[in-house]
Amino acid sequence: MPATFQTEAVVLRSIRYSEADRVLHLYSRERGRIGAIAKGVRRVKSRFGGRLEPLFRVDLLLHEGRGELYTVTSAETVDPHPSLRERRDAIERATQACDAVLRLLDSQEPNRAAYNLLCRELRILDGDPAAASRAQALAFRLKLLLAAGFAPELAACASCGEREHLSAFSASAGGVVCPGCEAGSFPLGSEAHAFLVESLGRSLAEAPSASDRALGQADRAIAETLEHHAHVRLRRVA
Amino acid sequence: MFSPPVNRLITELARLPGIGQRTAQRLAFHILRTPEEEALALADAIREVKEKVGHCEVCFNLAVGPRCRICEDERRSPELICVVEEPSDVIPIERTHEWGGRYHVLGGALSPIDGVDPEDLRIAELLTRLDDGDAREVVVATNATTTGEATALYLADAIRERTPQVTVTRLASGLPVGADLEYADEITLGKALQGRHAL
Repeated sequence: MPATFQTEAVVLRSIRYSEADRVLHLYSRERGRIGAIAKGVRRVKSRFGGRLEPLFRVDLLLHEGRGELYTVTSAETVDPHPSLRERRDAIERATQACDAVLRLLDSQEPNRAAYNLLCRELRILDGDPAAASRAQALAFRLKLLLAAGFAPELAACASCGEREHLSAFSASAGGVVCPGCEAGSFPLGSEAHAFLVESLGRSLAEAPSASDRALGQADRAIAETLEHHAHVRLRRVA
Repeated sequence: MFSPPVNRLITELARLPGIGQRTAQRLAFHILRTPEEEALALADAIREVKEKVGHCEVCFNLAVGPRCRICEDERRSPELICVVEEPSDVIPIERTHEWGGRYHVLGGALSPIDGVDPEDLRIAELLTRLDDGDAREVVVATNATTTGEATALYLADAIRERTPQVTVTRLASGLPVGADLEYADEITLGKALQGRHAL
């Protein structure tokens, strides 16, 4: 393995470290979730400037030392998402997206679908002020579940395969369930069910909308799937 | 490996930020080597700072007594409040000698990813202070980071809603003096261009 390598990555989280350094949580295109240290980045005249702030998409040169963390030796901006940073709701949604990636995809295995999805979500939030909605955030989470291999069964009862009267959701069963298999489930209305199906079927930029009640049910279905199968507890999308 | 008092000292030193086990060990041996009065002076300084220094009841800056020296200074304008994240952020602003107003220390920045929500910061205290006081301008001087910007935007919305008569401003962003243009990142340079002024 080379001591230095290049990768494109999104900065998910940044933690102050030592006098002027930062520890970065990155989601990289080539190596999945990785940690890196950016030395001196908090100094006003750091050569990295603001490029290693969360939500930046950057091209990095990383040095692999003896420790667990890589060292950032160079950073070039791919997309700074400047408009996103000027709107509070967009920053919140983008941070939620990064948090979901951070917790759900915690291994150093590349997942190109998840990486592209995150980049697309940040670009949408940067370009469209209306995209910072609850429905959009839930559609992202559901697609992230799919990219991570945890997508719930939505076409037929997850327990018996029945295709009609799917009116409840059971995370332990793995998706929607019919009245005969609804033990341990919660009611999932047809609007919420349709929202989940359409979110997976459409592109992220065309995320469907739904009533607050339906979005609440969809949020619960996604959250319980994450908890049951990935052992990840995320904040609900408000 | 060491005697219990030395082990205890190493353990306590290793709790400090940026100090690992090895550095703690080195510091502990340095303390053991120094004259007794010097080592005890360090212990006394730690004890004194913990006993005497608290937070100002008005602005939450560090204070000896109920109020900090800035809040007690009659020459400092109560109409201008500079909001910073931490008490350590007050020092660089004071060093400029450009600020004649007072401060409000939030105690951090909003960061949902780290579990820091508005109720974890002294935002409610700031809003109450604006309700009760004579402030006409709040300068938001949170760090120019993603969390600092998110905090600034949250504060601007909250202040505009509750006390619309108060003007909210943000520190300008741009190139640091002495920096080369070619090393500037796109956001910083973009903000510097937006904030250009006539010569």
